[in-house]
Amino acid sequence: MKHQIEITVNGDAHHLLVEAHQTLLDVIRDLIGFTGTKSGCEMGECGACTVVMNGDAVNSCLVLALEADGTEIRTIEGMAQGDKLHPVQESFVENGAIQCGYCTSGMVMASTALLDKNPKADIEAIRKGLRGNLCRCTGYTKIIKAVESARDGEVT
Amino acid sequence: MKRKILGKGYPRLDALEKVTGAAQYTVDLKMPGLLYGMILRSPIAHARIKAIDISKAQALKGVHAVVTAKDVPLNIFSFYQWAADKTMLATDKVRYVGDEVAAVCAVDKDTAARAIELIEVEYETLPAVFDAEEAMSPDATLLHERESNVCFEVDRVVGDPDKAFAECDYVCEERYATDKVCHCCLEVSNCIAKWDQSGRLTVWTNTQAPHTQRQEVARILGISTKKVRFISSHMGGGFGSKLVLDMKTPIAAVLSKMTGRPVRIQNSRSEEFCTAKTRYGYTMYVKTGAKKDGRLWAREIKVIADCGAYQDKGPATLNFSNMMFAAHYNIPNVRYTGKLVYTNKQMGTAFRGFGNNQIAFACESQLDSLAAKMDMDPLEFRMKNANKPGEKMHSGAEIPTCGMSECMESAAKAVDWNQKRNQKGLRGIGVANSLHTAQGGRYYAYAATDSFIKIAEDGMITLITPAAEMGQGIHSAMAQIVGEELGIPPTEINVIGSDTDLTPYDLGSWGSRGTFVCGNAALAAAREAKKELIGIASEMLEVKSEFIKLEDGQAVAKAPGSPEVILPMAEIMDYTMNKRKAPISVRGQWADDMGPDWDVPKEWTKNVRSWAFGTQIAEVEVDEETGEVKVLKVIAAQESGITINQKMAEGQIEGSVVQGVGYALTEKQVLAEGKVVNDGFIDYKILSSEDIPEIETILVETGDPEGPFGAKGLGEAGLVPTAPAIANAIYNACGVRCYELPITREFILKSLKEKKAGK
Ligand code: FES
Ligand code: FES
Repeated sequence: MKHQIEITVNGDAHHLLVEAHQTLLDVIRDLIGFTGTKSGCEMGECGACTVVMNGDAVNSCLVLALEADGTEIRTIEGMAQGDKLHPVQESFVENGAIQCGYCTSGMVMASTALLDKNPKADIEAIRKGLRGNLCRCTGYTKIIKAVESARDGEVT
Repeated sequence: MKRKILGKGYPRLDALEKVTGAAQYTVDLKMPGLLYGMILRSPIAHARIKAIDISKAQALKGVHAVVTAKDVPLNIFSFYQWAADKTMLATDKVRYVGDEVAAVCAVDKDTAARAIELIEVEYETLPAVFDAEEAMSPDATLLHERESNVCFEVDRVVGDPDKAFAECDYVCEERYATDKVCHCCLEVSNCIAKWDQSGRLTVWTNTQAPHTQRQEVARILGISTKKVRFISSHMGGGFGSKLVLDMKTPIAAVLSKMTGRPVRIQNSRSEEFCTAKTRYGYTMYVKTGAKKDGRLWAREIKVIADCGAYQDKGPATLNFSNMMFAAHYNIPNVRYTGKLVYTNKQMGTAFRGFGNNQIAFACESQLDSLAAKMDMDPLEFRMKNANKPGEKMHSGAEIPTCGMSECMESAAKAVDWNQKRNQKGLRGIGVANSLHTAQGGRYYAYAATDSFIKIAEDGMITLITPAAEMGQGIHSAMAQIVGEELGIPPTEINVIGSDTDLTPYDLGSWGSRGTFVCGNAALAAAREAKKELIGIASEMLEVKSEFIKLEDGQAVAKAPGSPEVILPMAEIMDYTMNKRKAPISVRGQWADDMGPDWDVPKEWTKNVRSWAFGTQIAEVEVDEETGEVKVLKVIAAQESGITINQKMAEGQIEGSVVQGVGYALTEKQVLAEGKVVNDGFIDYKILSSEDIPEIETILVETGDPEGPFGAKGLGEAGLVPTAPAIANAIYNACGVRCYELPITREFILKSLKEKKAGK
């Protein structure tokens, strides 16, 4: 049986019919078509699917679509304002924090939520805050540096 | 030479796409009529297939096709055809938990999953063997129809090791072992296959080697390569796992042919851990001897490599290990014996470092054991034996450039070696060196590629390159090379690749070869383009070519005695198109001059013509209570030839080091009766942002006589010395020698206790 939900994704309201077992990740990728949010494990273990839900970074693969009913979601596609990248995005680009890019959407979302909550996050807080977001390519060093320089307003 | 574009930390060309979520990976592709394929895999490590009943699956609504070995081509395949040992779907036997038995495709994933559950297979369980040394015994159960599970052997001797060991003043003999570890690409292995009306197969997949995989799938399907096209999208990591074809591609192809629809097959994360192949686990009996003065005099190693159920890259890996073993330090007497042994486990394949990592762990650890026996500083010991530029090795290898001493010196300087070696408490540092190919090699008895550059009517430059982008940034490196030659920022160069219909033939991204091979071809094309552009500018300005340079996107003419004249690229192209009435499209090639009859095994150490050296120093702290090893810092000095892009080069090293720390301390595939127990990221522990050490990368520029602008490949080398550097640091910290990877807390605790008890 399908259920009706209403969620706001990057500012647009979507009325959708979903199955009880469908996840927010399925909704974002398959029903709405924002494929910037990635699936790396579907078990809550990698963070590739991180989106911001009502201000909190969540693993969208662990949120049922039904639970997301009525929420406000921000995905990677909702970060830039037109041509202007969000400072965290800009900082990832400038600091060489991207290799294959598969973890990048989740990393950017997790980093943004982290800095929104704790604008003075120190390196330890950043390392801790991103521990649920795995990256197999970069070794994290440049990702952490990117979040620090976004925090310090080194990018505009 | 003053470089304008090289060495700078330009953002990668695809950074914007990736940071905005716009980059499309194979998992993101959508297609009308797309069906979902799924593979039924063996739940048993070794069994005979008695019967398969697919009728219930076929009857399920939404299922479009169900196949078993009866329905598919059964050409036996391996990376080397002479080692062929695997069919697309198992015929009579399954040989590991995960072996492909049957496949389905259906309208959606859920239906496909239900259909898989409805297939009934009757197995007769056979005895299985999981340990390579046990699998070698004459009464071990046999996986394949051959006399022994030993499926490949290498035996090579340089000098007279037996005599030489007798001449040594110090000899050390130890057993080392490494385990199977997983690549853990964040994007799982997946593909879409579509067979169109014209009888042509297109495959979209994440591959490091589109051209050779195209040949491989044709071999498996028994069709002409002309009928196959491979297209690779952005790719979520490779690390070697996406070099040799996975059977899901031919399976998807068969399902597409049967249904007339495109078919996607995608690993679950669990399937990725259980079937996407691993690094080969090695058991190594190593012996090294030195003279009193510290000169390495003899070394031998017996390698037993755990192949898993099928050969794949096993023979090539063993051979590569052999070559690195015989080229690292110029030891006059060397013996290498390697055996590749079938076991009822997931097969191994290429993995960043390719057989060098295992050898380096054993040999570099043993150097420290030997240094301790000799009461010599391990760094000094290595300095005494460092490879030297221009050296012709006893093993026959030739080393044109070599930054080994510089790497050691700069790493030691960065850490204050003498002070840190004598720290109080359970803190210590350790060093390990590596040498690695900087240019792939001649293993395919072929090493060449082409590139094209076209200059559009408006001056826009497009490079068409076969360099396979898997996240390492090779397209950006190509743009920077072309940009340097043409005086244009890489951001203004359009790079096209990843489609076998479009790009020239190439062997793919492996063996740190992309920068060297594809980079040289791109540079050759850029030189041709430059020649044409300057020739036209010369004609337009009536200034001799030799006085014209290309810089900042324009031609700058400065003839003696005349003022400087500047000509924008667009004007040159306007003239070209409207006055000369012809476009500019050029080709560049790099081809190894190995000659027509190159004998890969015979020429074994000459299969690499350019090398990259590296030194890593790790600092660790050992917790006496818990046995935990904390890696505090890693200094990685790596020869880059010349650095093409500072940030991207550092990124390769940082990523490698972190994989190396995981290899040393946390990563291990745990099996029970051949079944992978830790098939997720919770139980298979790769490092997170919280676990990483501080990393300091030092790029040592020695220039390579043959690399593009002197560059060497460095995609793999950073992972080779990390584990032994950590093991040696542990020894310095607490006197415990670690013989196995990963180094566990239990082992450290037990060893510390034994040390205390005076054992
Ligand atoms: S896909 Fe959601 S955490 Fe991995
Ligand atoms: S950039 Fe590849 S996983 Fe992070």
